[in-house]
Amino acid sequence: MNLVRANFKTGLVGGSVIVYLALVGILERFQDRNVITGVVGLGTTLVLLTMFGTGYLVSRPKDDGTSQPFGEGLVAGAFAGALTAAVVLIFEAMLGAGIQVRNMLVSVTPDLLDLLEFGLGPGLGSVALVAVGALLGGLAGALRLLPEDVRGAINYSLIVALALSLSEPLMDGILRGLGIPRRWLYESGGLTIVGTIIVVVVTAYLRWQWMRRRDQIAETRAHMPEDRRILYRRITLVALVAVLVALPWVVGPFISDVLGTVGLYVLLGLGLNIVVGYAGLLDLGYVAFFAVGAYAMGVLTSTASFLVKPENAPFAEHGFTNFWIALPFVVLIAVVIGVLIGAPVLRLRGDYLAIVTLGFGEIIRTLVLSDWLAPYLGGAQGLIRVPPPPPAALDLRDPQHIYYLILVFGLLAAFVVSRLGDSRVGRAWAAMREDESVAEAIGISVIRYKLLAFAMGAAVGSLGGVFFAAKIGSIFPNSFGLLVSINVLSVIILGGMGSIPGVVVGALVLVGLPELLREFGEFRLLIYGAVLVLIMILRPEGLIPNKRRQRELHEQEELVTVGELVTEEGPA
Amino acid sequence: MTAKTETRTRRLPFERIPVRRIILVALSLAIIYGVVAGSAATLQTGTFSGADWRTLVVNGLARGSVYALIAIGYTLVYGVLFMINFAHGEVFMSGTYTSFFVATALAESGYLNEHPLISIGILFVVSMVVSTVVAIILERLAYRPLRGAPRLVPLITAIGASLFLQYTFRGLYGANVRAYPEIAAIQGTWEIFGFDFLKKQVIVIVAAMIFWLILYLVVAKTKTGRAMRAVGEDREVAALMGIDVDRTIVATFAIGGALAGAAGILFVFVFNQVIFIMGFLPGLKAFTAAVLGGIGSISGAALGGLVLGVLEAIGPNLFLTGANVPSPNQLQPVVAFGILVLVLIFLPGGFLGSDEEERA
Repeated sequence: MNLVRANFKTGLVGGSVIVYLALVGILERFQDRNVITGVVGLGTTLVLLTMFGTGYLVSRPKDDGTSQPFGEGLVAGAFAGALTAAVVLIFEAMLGAGIQVRNMLVSVTPDLLDLLEFGLGPGLGSVALVAVGALLGGLAGALRLLPEDVRGAINYSLIVALALSLSEPLMDGILRGLGIPRRWLYESGGLTIVGTIIVVVVTAYLRWQWMRRRDQIAETRAHMPEDRRILYRRITLVALVAVLVALPWVVGPFISDVLGTVGLYVLLGLGLNIVVGYAGLLDLGYVAFFAVGAYAMGVLTSTASFLVKPENAPFAEHGFTNFWIALPFVVLIAVVIGVLIGAPVLRLRGDYLAIVTLGFGEIIRTLVLSDWLAPYLGGAQGLIRVPPPPPAALDLRDPQHIYYLILVFGLLAAFVVSRLGDSRVGRAWAAMREDESVAEAIGISVIRYKLLAFAMGAAVGSLGGVFFAAKIGSIFPNSFGLLVSINVLSVIILGGMGSIPGVVVGALVLVGLPELLREFGEFRLLIYGAVLVLIMILRPEGLIPNKRRQRELHEQEELVTVGELVTEEGPA
Repeated sequence: MTAKTETRTRRLPFERIPVRRIILVALSLAIIYGVVAGSAATLQTGTFSGADWRTLVVNGLARGSVYALIAIGYTLVYGVLFMINFAHGEVFMSGTYTSFFVATALAESGYLNEHPLISIGILFVVSMVVSTVVAIILERLAYRPLRGAPRLVPLITAIGASLFLQYTFRGLYGANVRAYPEIAAIQGTWEIFGFDFLKKQVIVIVAAMIFWLILYLVVAKTKTGRAMRAVGEDREVAALMGIDVDRTIVATFAIGGALAGAAGILFVFVFNQVIFIMGFLPGLKAFTAAVLGGIGSISGAALGGLVLGVLEAIGPNLFLTGANVPSPNQLQPVVAFGILVLVLIFLPGGFLGSDEEERA
């Protein structure tokens, strides 16, 4: 009885997650995608995973040592299933009574209910929900009883199988490019049954071996002489660059295009990282610099620009100037606008600054959209006919070609930003971020360093805009909404504020993945929102943390553990 | 060698020039010139008659009353927790959008026009309850785990929560704009002091005043209100005095949510439609109103809302028409955010705010 009471709540939370996923339409939409073709779709997988996860979480070892993992998982899983079943039955009853549920909750379709009932009809389906919930929850709990290396191997292999299945569009392209047979692994968008078994068994075995020998390998590495270690690091670096260079030809034009977009976000993320990660200024209007970059490039190079008049004939053919001549001017314009926007508002405190920059972003978007500036910037029609960067022989509109351009500038920006972070300026920013008054007291001119951060962020951000214009070839005001700012912010928050590898990982996950998983499209922003909240609560330093930043964010925990007398006190 | 490098001080570019001050002065001069010249030119052309201006002002007051009610939510939360609840606009949207389904059901059964007063009462209750529940859940799940975290952390969470709520409601209720049923009883005009006023605008303004008054009494007179002020003053001391801090914070969110839900019904009286992103711009403008009035001050929220509403309604027409700017109303957001920026730069405490420096 105790077992039931203690785990009933977690079970209901798990059930609520399933019901939530169902009601916002994620389950039904994702079901279109096969995980294991002919066996299970992504929607059902999510239901099963939630039940499994509920069981796994609830059965974690307790401090008092009174764990009954199997029973706990079983109870929680069963309750998760029961809540889902109850909701399903309510909807079935409403539909049966002729109530048009879809008029309000647009996602409640017969297909959705069928999915939740595992296609068994309402009666049998709800029994199945409870049974499957109990089974998976119990299984997850039972995993806790296994030794750690076995459990790790099982979890790991399941994750890898799911990841392989979800990355089918990418992997299929790569395998085809490399000429490796792929029919045994993939079939109509999902893994084959045989493929799944092979993948699970192989990765489980590899992981198990790795877990057993991990200590040994770490030992060997620790005793390796310094020069060997440097050599290995160099080899890794060269291999990485080689992979980056070869990538577009391996993955094909479509994925190259996605990579180009990821690259743009890496650039934007690097720029915003200076402002948010280094200087600690939350800028919600970063899209302004993206827009300035794109529009400045458009106006200077487009053949449809207002600078091109019929009477100045030489320009009419090629635009006012070409990409490479325009580039430095565009960056200069962005820096000037960054200073103009930054100067009046940089004295404001953090949260006010965020809202004001957001206001600036909206102002810029409204301005480029307005009829007032339409003669110059094209208004709602946008600016068209932005030529690709010369020379024409390189055909830099092609996604496989422009990738290199973005790669080169991305690497350059990453280099500059990382050096900047370790420089005197970077340390001044860090001091300012941690405590503005103290920084001021030790002689750092806070306003000037803030302005510098803003200007540099603007410069890098405008590069993003420049390549956006060059890549797409036309500029429309709707590409410059608040969402761009939020996307970039999500990228650096997920990766870790102030961390350069973090930006790359963040962009790959948040920009690359949704492009591959088209089903995600309409839920992209829902997921971004959830990512922002969850990261801030669970791991505010991001996936790949910047060391210094991590310490700041966990300062209080350290204080509490160091001295019991130090009270937990927020900055009021 | 060492002596030389030590004495050389590094300078950032433009260190001697007061860049910031120059830009500030130039900015204010440009704005003053633009506003004065634009207004003068507009008044000379005589495009708008006195009646036009009156219509615009009443329209602005109606809008402004809605902003004022939403702004109270920002102000209350800020006064207690010193954080900007960025997702407050979505709290406003959640109740309003949900009440739409009740309104449609009432309209279809004919009840809405037979008993408009009861129906409107039901709509208010539905909207306020849903918004309150969303606000409480938001506080519990997103903000409570972050008490005491560095300042930017809850703000980023709030942005995430705002997106999450928007797209949750998109998933639940669909992506389309939906037309709110018209209530026949509030259409038409009333003649007051010899002038015709739109009934719904008058209702919105009066209703907003009533809600504001109730809130004012709650915060000033009740135990909860006193607890809220005490927690805002000093959380630790308030806790020592026996105030349940968590409960007080929940109450703050609940009251803000209820007012946002009420504002939502007034909002649809004026605008007649609902969509999942409807909370974003009103939320931002309400925040502007709260800052304009002095964040943390309840009277300030009301004043700021009304001033912003009126400025937004007459601003583009007054300043821009004369300057031959085509379709000036497109630039309404520029006016609203322009005001926000200017207030924050030149009057960070707002009209009725306390000393900002102390809290910075």
